[in-house]
Amino acid sequence: MQSPAGALERLAAHSAEGFPNLLAARERTAARLAEMRLRVAPVVLPADSSIVLFGSWGRGELTAHSDDDWLLLVDGPLRPQHEPVVATLRELLGAEDRKPGTQEIFGAAASAHVLASRIGLDEDTNRSLTRRMLLLLESVPVAGDDAYERCWVHVLNSYLEDATKDFRPPRFLLNDLVRYWRTICVDFVGKQREDEEKWGLRNAKLRTGRKVLFAAGLLPILLCERHLQAAMRDFLVEQLRAPATDRLAAAFAAYDLMDSGGRALDAYDRWIGMLGDDATRAELAAVRRETADASDAYARVRRSGRELETGLLALLFETPLVVLVREYGVF
Amino acid sequence: MPSAVLTQPGSLARHHPLGTSTGALVEQRGDWEALVCEAQRTSTFAVELAALSAGELPELLHFLSAAPALPFHFISLHAPSKGRRLREKQLVAMLLEVVRCVDAVVVHPDTIDDAARYAALGSALVLENMDSRKHGGRTAAELAAYFAALPQAGFCFDVAHAASVDETLAEGERLLDSFGARLRHVHVSSLDEDCHHVPLTAADEERFAPLLRRCRDVPWILEAPLREI
Repeated sequence: MQSPAGALERLAAHSAEGFPNLLAARERTAARLAEMRLRVAPVVLPADSSIVLFGSWGRGELTAHSDDDWLLLVDGPLRPQHEPVVATLRELLGAEDRKPGTQEIFGAAASAHVLASRIGLDEDTNRSLTRRMLLLLESVPVAGDDAYERCWVHVLNSYLEDATKDFRPPRFLLNDLVRYWRTICVDFVGKQREDEEKWGLRNAKLRTGRKVLFAAGLLPILLCERHLQAAMRDFLVEQLRAPATDRLAAAFAAYDLMDSGGRALDAYDRWIGMLGDDATRAELAAVRRETADASDAYARVRRSGRELETGLLALLFETPLVVLVREYGVF
Repeated sequence: MPSAVLTQPGSLARHHPLGTSTGALVEQRGDWEALVCEAQRTSTFAVELAALSAGELPELLHFLSAAPALPFHFISLHAPSKGRRLREKQLVAMLLEVVRCVDAVVVHPDTIDDAARYAALGSALVLENMDSRKHGGRTAAELAAYFAALPQAGFCFDVAHAASVDETLAEGERLLDSFGARLRHVHVSSLDEDCHHVPLTAADEERFAPLLRRCRDVPWILEAPLREI
């Protein structure tokens, strides 16, 4: 498969409107990343550290309401000298309503070595799994790029050291990605039982952005089946460094599924438009399970989510990819 | 569990999601519970509840208003295309009553007098391309005005209708080129000499394959039972 770079723009010709919301979000993200780099430039970083943004920053899908989900990512163990940097960043980032979420996944320091060395077993907490997966799938540095590069490759290498063979998808990475996706789905219900306050937005994100995250991670891992073990790392670096929507668009193009790809990403584009619309976002924020059927915004999300999903399923099951999904996707 | 038909040989039967139109289920006509039961034998994923004549619509709406437990992931409602006794305003008002219960409301463009009245159905409205007997809505050029008037509307591609208009299928390609981005579902069948839906023939299945390949991500609705294999 060709490099995913620019694939979304190429697929735009097969969409209803040319993905206006996605392409505008990319421009917005690029501009805001440049601002962010200037904002954190005065922060004195230890040589082993980088400031990394996650989520919509990494996907290139920033809206006016996106959180500043950041980590001080450290290439080595955490040390006392990292603490004042974290304190400074807490002052500097996440102003007003853009604070990182309340689960303490972001807004802190994290050792990439810990993330890489504790994959699986009890010490691999939900937080650790989330940080590691999002680092690989949707992260971008705004300072300390060299340290970020070392951390990113270190985490990827930790997956490729085991259970990797020529012309086989790397099982360790594949299983952890699948575990992460299923964890998100299970945790959705767990959170729902604790607190229904954000049910509408959480549900909407599960139907849309989370599926894009998972599918865009799954595809390059499955496609390692075409590579010698020695070439997998470079292939995965090229793929995973591209925005998720580019990875998906490239896959739709590679399998001659341009019409379906256009419709799927058009549905996702509508979702990005909804996220950036104050009224729609407010309506979704107010939706609860028992009121969902009465919400126009929720109905639109459900439809977009369904259209996105059917497109992704066509890609996975109605192209030659189906043999890879059958061989590796279940057991 | 997948329905038995999904395990039959033949590429059509392997498509997912595949569903049936209750309009093809003549024996159960008028008994919506029986129609739904029969439709589940094709698939529990997709269905088209067809009130093809105006007299069937009130009973279908009554059936849906009772919020029956239906297994289908995708439900389209086919609005009346013949014997219309309702005023258009009244018809749209009735369709609006159930628009939240379904994923799509299929309307034949040649039955539309005032497109503006249908705008209230929003993106649930789906316009279908017509067969060669009709006087409008058959080609991309004829449908363009309807979609211009109803920009939120989706497209239902009836592959047999397209073939009846142009047996080279170039018009089918044009329809997908023009409105493929709006595509919401596909009607699958062959047509007899009078343009009635009949089971898809092996020859048509092969002939339509390039068009259907462009529609792999959307539900395919059988407008006639599958032929015996």
